[in-house]
Amino acid sequence: MFEKLSDKIRSVPTALKEFLLNTSAEAGQVLSPEKLKVRRRKKYSLLSMGNGLDTVFVLLVIGVLIIGLVMMFSASFPVAYFSKDSSYYYIKRQLLFAVVGVAVMFALSFVDYHYYHKLAVPALGVAWFLMIVVVLANLKSTDPRRWLNIGPISIQVSEICKFALILFLAHWSSLYYDKMKSFKFGVAPGIVLLVITSFLLYLEPHYSGIVICGLIIAIMLGLAGVPLRYFAIAAAGGGGIVSIMAVTGKLTYAMSRLDGWGQALEYTTVEMWNTTWQTRNSLYAIGSGGLWGLGLGQSRQKYMYLPEPQNDFVFAIVCEELGFIGAAVILIVFAVLVWRGIRICLKAKDKFGTLLGVGLMAQIGLQVVLNILVITDWLPNTGISLPFFSYGGSSLLMLLGQMGIVMNISRSASIEKK
Amino acid sequence: MGDNVLSSIRKRSVILLVLILVCGFGSVLSRLFYLQIIQGRELSDLAVAQQMSDTVVTAKRGSIYDRNGNTLASSANVWKVVLAPIYFENDSDRRQVSEGLANILGMNADDIMELAKKSDSYYQTVKRQVESDERNKILELIERISKNNPKLGSVIVLEEDFKRYYPYNDFAASVIGFTGADGQGLSGLEYEYDSYLTGIPGRVVSENDGWGAAMPFEYEQKQEARDGNSLVLTIDETIQHFLEKHLKQGIIDYNVADGAVAICMDVKTGQIYGMATENSFDLNDPYEISDESAKKSLEKMATSKREEAESELLAKQWRNKAISDSYYPGSVFKIITAAASLEEGTSKLSTTFFCTGSYVPYEGVEPINCHNHDGHGQQTFAEALCNSCNPAFMQMGNALGYDNYWEYFQSFGFNSQTGIDLPGEGTGLFFHHDGEPEGSMWPTDLAIGSFGQGITVTPIEMVTAVSAVANGGKLVKPYLVKQIVDADGNVVETTETTVKRQIISQDTADKMAAILEKNAAEGTAKNGYVAGYRIAGKTGTSEKIGQSRKKNTMDYIASYCGFAPADDPQIALLVYFDTPTGDAYYGSQVAAPVFANIMSEICPYLGIEAQYTDEEMKHVSTTANSYISLDVESARNAVKGDGFEPFIMGDGDAVVAQIPEPGSQIPRGGRIVLYTTTDSTKETVTVPDLIGYTVSEVNEISQEYNVNISYSGSVDQDTVYSYSQSIDSGMQVAPGTVITVYFGNDDVDDTVM
Repeated sequence: MFEKLSDKIRSVPTALKEFLLNTSAEAGQVLSPEKLKVRRRKKYSLLSMGNGLDTVFVLLVIGVLIIGLVMMFSASFPVAYFSKDSSYYYIKRQLLFAVVGVAVMFALSFVDYHYYHKLAVPALGVAWFLMIVVVLANLKSTDPRRWLNIGPISIQVSEICKFALILFLAHWSSLYYDKMKSFKFGVAPGIVLLVITSFLLYLEPHYSGIVICGLIIAIMLGLAGVPLRYFAIAAAGGGGIVSIMAVTGKLTYAMSRLDGWGQALEYTTVEMWNTTWQTRNSLYAIGSGGLWGLGLGQSRQKYMYLPEPQNDFVFAIVCEELGFIGAAVILIVFAVLVWRGIRICLKAKDKFGTLLGVGLMAQIGLQVVLNILVITDWLPNTGISLPFFSYGGSSLLMLLGQMGIVMNISRSASIEKK
Repeated sequence: MGDNVLSSIRKRSVILLVLILVCGFGSVLSRLFYLQIIQGRELSDLAVAQQMSDTVVTAKRGSIYDRNGNTLASSANVWKVVLAPIYFENDSDRRQVSEGLANILGMNADDIMELAKKSDSYYQTVKRQVESDERNKILELIERISKNNPKLGSVIVLEEDFKRYYPYNDFAASVIGFTGADGQGLSGLEYEYDSYLTGIPGRVVSENDGWGAAMPFEYEQKQEARDGNSLVLTIDETIQHFLEKHLKQGIIDYNVADGAVAICMDVKTGQIYGMATENSFDLNDPYEISDESAKKSLEKMATSKREEAESELLAKQWRNKAISDSYYPGSVFKIITAAASLEEGTSKLSTTFFCTGSYVPYEGVEPINCHNHDGHGQQTFAEALCNSCNPAFMQMGNALGYDNYWEYFQSFGFNSQTGIDLPGEGTGLFFHHDGEPEGSMWPTDLAIGSFGQGITVTPIEMVTAVSAVANGGKLVKPYLVKQIVDADGNVVETTETTVKRQIISQDTADKMAAILEKNAAEGTAKNGYVAGYRIAGKTGTSEKIGQSRKKNTMDYIASYCGFAPADDPQIALLVYFDTPTGDAYYGSQVAAPVFANIMSEICPYLGIEAQYTDEEMKHVSTTANSYISLDVESARNAVKGDGFEPFIMGDGDAVVAQIPEPGSQIPRGGRIVLYTTTDSTKETVTVPDLIGYTVSEVNEISQEYNVNISYSGSVDQDTVYSYSQSIDSGMQVAPGTVITVYFGNDDVDDTVM
């Protein structure tokens, strides 16, 4: 395989060839500014199969984005009309962010991802700092403190944290790849990251964020080759805690604290009926869709039955309007997107690119799955948004930016092939 | 080294991808499949159940009209105010709405607040039967509160409701009946015809959003309410009024303790023209005790006892005596004994009966007295009835025999309901001896049963049976509802006359009518006579069943049943007073005059043509013409020419005033006083005492005192005496004033054992 690659590489200009051979050989090293300059000089063209942008991936991203916007609009207009006096309240804002986001995505597709080596540590620092700020800024608030308000824009800081974790771990793993099998370099940093992040998320609180960040850390470490036995130990440890709680009866207490999880249809008290209102109406919406759905725009549950249908529960309305068929098609499109994105990243010529890209795509797949498990009452209702569908400008911006990074990985891989 | 590293990362990436797609997406898809396909129906039903609102639209209850279209009962739109507290979000909204409603409805805000706090409820009734202007104020309130918070617009719901109005209050109360809080009929025709009157409530099934407002989908399904049908009664408001007016007067005149009944029935069709029961109650307020003295004693009672006593009183005032009470018919029943005997031929018109003043029905029993202790002597069949002679009827009953008596008791319908369209009809009871078959009698039973003791009947059974005699022997079913019409006025059902059976032949019926006419004209029933109308009738005085109100005296029921005109019977009338406690308690004294008064109003009202005898003709009133402004001489001649006697007052040249006034009723040959000066109009005469005289004596006195007399009651012979006058003696009146004098006789018809 090495020979084959080298043959191909031989056909590209000498200066670049030298550089590329160097980099791929010493994968993960921080590049000098000079080298980056050389790299940047190599022109990416906007849309060109030949020059490396994966058109199928771009089309999938744009496609999912458009479907997401349409469905979010459909789900949100009654609520927007009755609460915000305009049916277009949510879609207008989301569209604005989508347009900006697409621009950002293409812009970032021109930015060599190797730059992000430099950003890895600061990004994580900034993310953690913002999480502290969010908690401190809203000390007296009893609501979850997840949003950082900067002027008219509010940012969910855990979105930044997720990205920062992926970036940092891609950076770290590519740097210390050989030592990742050791506890010191492989497991210990993971535990440190998990503990700090979890603690900050616990302060917000944002339990689903803990779950997602934990899974992201695990995925990144797994990709980097941390031996399975550590995961087995972690899983056993987690399982052990859960079983001890189950035996001592603390689990049921915790479960009942989790917003009536799994009991949306079996409420026995008015209190329970109220707390499971959103999940129950989500199930009603999903069930009402049946095989073919009520038709686009025909949802009943979005008329003030399902609270905030534009947010985490947007997919329940999708299920109601488009049925199982429509939901399955959208899931397949998501799956294809994740597959295509990971496929692109597998072609990256260095560990950092592969790890970063796969991590970013895995995060999308993970959120899709977790979001739908929440709206179908298999996971507690704790706020996991659906990528490209759920209302939220900053989150959409982040997502599209991340897609831009994946697109750059695609470009780089193609160019490097030449 | 690089590619090895990369390929192992790639390998792990592929494993991760497969894990996400297979485990993650796989489980998500299977979960969705389960929820949407397998559990879809169930969840969708739950969703629909919460989205659909099913509103009932009240149907308007039908009206009740008398036979001429006068409204006796009708429903009007009112509103029901309902709270849906589930849509409240905070206590300040609750407070605002509660206070707003309390102000409009005149209620306590805290009470409404309590309802508003039931935060998981969709339906809390605040007030019912709210009138339209209050409703308008509530609509304004809704608009005001929903301006700030559209969700609050769903908190107050106004539902259509109906309220029942009875424009005549206590009129025909026991017949019409009343309705409950939910508009359901509780008594009388309101109960009997409830299913017709109620109508079919409509439904509006619509999709509502989570705030209770309509969704923008055209899925509303509306099923219009079908308003209830209306009833057109056989009751004639005017006749009913006659009955009630005279019964009320009779109750006062004779100190009647336990109420009274009058039923007027069309003998040919069975239509009830009027059915009055006194004491009555206000249909608009049926739970108010109408008997003032009972109400007062109730208020004095201890709380524990009061409730029971009150419900007893209510049950009593709602009870329709005309169909529910059974009583010993007494001598009125002699009509039945006589008709059966003639029909069976066990006695004939030529049969004679001898009365010694008492009779021993069979060996070994105490003799049973006649009301005439001296005895009636030898009597024909007709005379026996006119004398209401008990010994004669015991002989007649004896001849009729047990089997016939039982058979006719049944065929006249006394032991079964008449089937009148009212709830709670009772039946009469035949003699009963434990262990013996139905209809079996002992010898004394036959003896007393022949003059109407020992067996019981209901008033409606009695008048129906007498109607059969009047109707050529055909027993018809009495009914109150002539037609059922729908909300648009189309006739849905028309009640046809039901002839149950021919009981006696036309010939027997004709004979009976002739005898009863004679009885009303000359016999014991003559106090029920109405000049010109060929009344046929029979009185009855019977011992009341059960304990009497005073020791050593009996309580009586005084009744009179008859029909008119005798040659072509059209209407039958029963008048029944339960326990008259004054000096007079016989049917002839109490029921007969009331019967006559009612008949004298009903017959002309129904257009029954008067046929006067020559003697009656003299006393028939005619209308006085106007002689005012004529000169004295020509006025005098005009008055003479009109068949009146002129009487000039004053010394003027022309007539300035007259008594009786033009257009008023004045007996034939009466005096018309013509005033020629205004001063002369101030002269008065004193009303003489006119009670206790014969017709001719009254006539003489009236001439002496210069007043006019209107003769009422039986006047064709000198065996009747005046017993009442319309203007009391000693009063100062203008000369020529018409005083109505009532004639009757105070012979008692019979006594009971």
